[in-house]
Amino acid sequence: MITTTALTKSYNKVPVVRDVSLHCEPGTITGFLGANGAGKSTTMKMIVGLVRPDRGTATIDGRPFVELPNPTRVVGMLLDASAMHPGRSGRATLTIAAQMAGVPTRRVEHLLELVGIADAADKRVGTYSLGMRQRLGVAQALVGEPQALILDEPANGLDPEGIAWMRSLLRDFADHGGTVLLSSHLLHEVEATADHLVVISGGAVVAAGRLDDLLASSTILVRSPDPGGLAAALQVAQIDYVAGPGGALTVDVAGGRVTTEVLAGVARDHQVLLTELRQSETNGLEQLFFSLTAAKAAPPQEAAA
Amino acid sequence: MTTSLSPRTLGIDAAPSAPGPIPFSRLVRVEWAKATDTRAARWLLALVALSTAGMMLVPVLAPTTFDQTYASYLRVAALGLTILLPVVAILMLTGEWSQRSVMTTFTQEPRRIRVMNAKLAVSMVLGGGAAVFGGVVTAAGLGLAAASGRTLEANLTVGAVTGYLLFVLLNVLAGVALGALLQSSATAIAASFALPAAFAVLGTASTPVSDWIDMSTWNWVLENDWAGHVPQISFSIVFWVAAPLAAGVVRTIRRDVG
Repeated sequence: MITTTALTKSYNKVPVVRDVSLHCEPGTITGFLGANGAGKSTTMKMIVGLVRPDRGTATIDGRPFVELPNPTRVVGMLLDASAMHPGRSGRATLTIAAQMAGVPTRRVEHLLELVGIADAADKRVGTYSLGMRQRLGVAQALVGEPQALILDEPANGLDPEGIAWMRSLLRDFADHGGTVLLSSHLLHEVEATADHLVVISGGAVVAAGRLDDLLASSTILVRSPDPGGLAAALQVAQIDYVAGPGGALTVDVAGGRVTTEVLAGVARDHQVLLTELRQSETNGLEQLFFSLTAAKAAPPQEAAA
Repeated sequence: MTTSLSPRTLGIDAAPSAPGPIPFSRLVRVEWAKATDTRAARWLLALVALSTAGMMLVPVLAPTTFDQTYASYLRVAALGLTILLPVVAILMLTGEWSQRSVMTTFTQEPRRIRVMNAKLAVSMVLGGGAAVFGGVVTAAGLGLAAASGRTLEANLTVGAVTGYLLFVLLNVLAGVALGALLQSSATAIAASFALPAAFAVLGTASTPVSDWIDMSTWNWVLENDWAGHVPQISFSIVFWVAAPLAAGVVRTIRRDVG
């Protein structure tokens, strides 16, 4: 449904997004995870034609976004809840979106109820809290009855109750066959909401796949009474490792290339005794996130926050 | 609060047929709404009306120093209208950049040229409406003058009315062009007052500037005084409208929305 191929963008020769390829299937929620400035927003803006990529392509339902005849009927988006005219009421803002999409304006009332701002519908958006603007933004994204949603940091400014509401709304949307791409810098938020994950750091994708797979086996722990000999053997076998606590070494699975079996073979070939060899305990997404992003030093600043 | 979405609500299971392109008339309607539905926009339009009516008091109250003719009253309306009307036009183009709602607009219709054309159409409707309003104010001013027992020369020709309408629309277009080019409300409004003033000053030192660039060339349009002035008028239209508008459209289409 949403596909990008090698999207690349630089601002003033500083690379912001580098070769980002991702794919979102109907019925799934893809979490786009990265620190602030990692290139999430720029990637999303390239998908919806607001920013033109230096290289690469993005398609929605097989077509470039800018070629969709009436885009908001296909994909709804919330890119920046503060980018609304403060002098217009919530209802007027939604009505304009409904008119553009060509849907009956009675849908506006329904959506105001759905996102829980019906009581404030006639107040000006300038008086709204960020959380209310996020809710209005979600309503605006849904107005054209789209099949896909692209949401940039939708949890921003929402209280815990609002976050739970957003989560169940998106799950419902996906369960009915919708496609969701949402970005976040909040690890636990993505962990709780998404079923697929794309991790971006320094403008490049550093990990992608099903959440369960990514959490399952990112590293292997291997221990020997002779850590120096083990390290030398791993170096010969060109396997990356980091020294862990108590002389243990932590080895990256390198996308499945390295398994416990491979490590056992390396130890045998180099006559190194092993006393422990197992998958690391998963400490959740957080550990993965930091281990993946820590390697990429000095992330470039993103032009737009 | 409802927390669940039925498939019907989402329209996913309904196998939506590919909707057609957004009709241009719909774009114009939405742009019209955006240009007129906020408190700020309404205040500004009220100020345009007020300044026009205020200007009309000049010939009514100062009969000895002012030509008492239909055409000269109409010119007063034009000058009143064009104080603030270019600002209305500027804001129509820059407002969405300043509020950053371009993000919404250009994802609703990614063919940005169509949005620009719609805004241009709305600005012309607004300019035309303002010109009609100016006509009404003129009639009221003439009525007041006649009621006070003055004799007014009824010299209103089709040419004079056409010149009046063109003058108002040109001023609106200059605002549109400046807004499209600069894409920032503050910068464009400042420029819309500073640039004509600067060229007027330059014009006092340089005849080519005063004849070909200074916006006073458009007074020939307003006064329906075309003879021998068409090249100058054309050049100043290119300078104030066509060139900046073309550059602004290109810039708008190419600009990354951050």
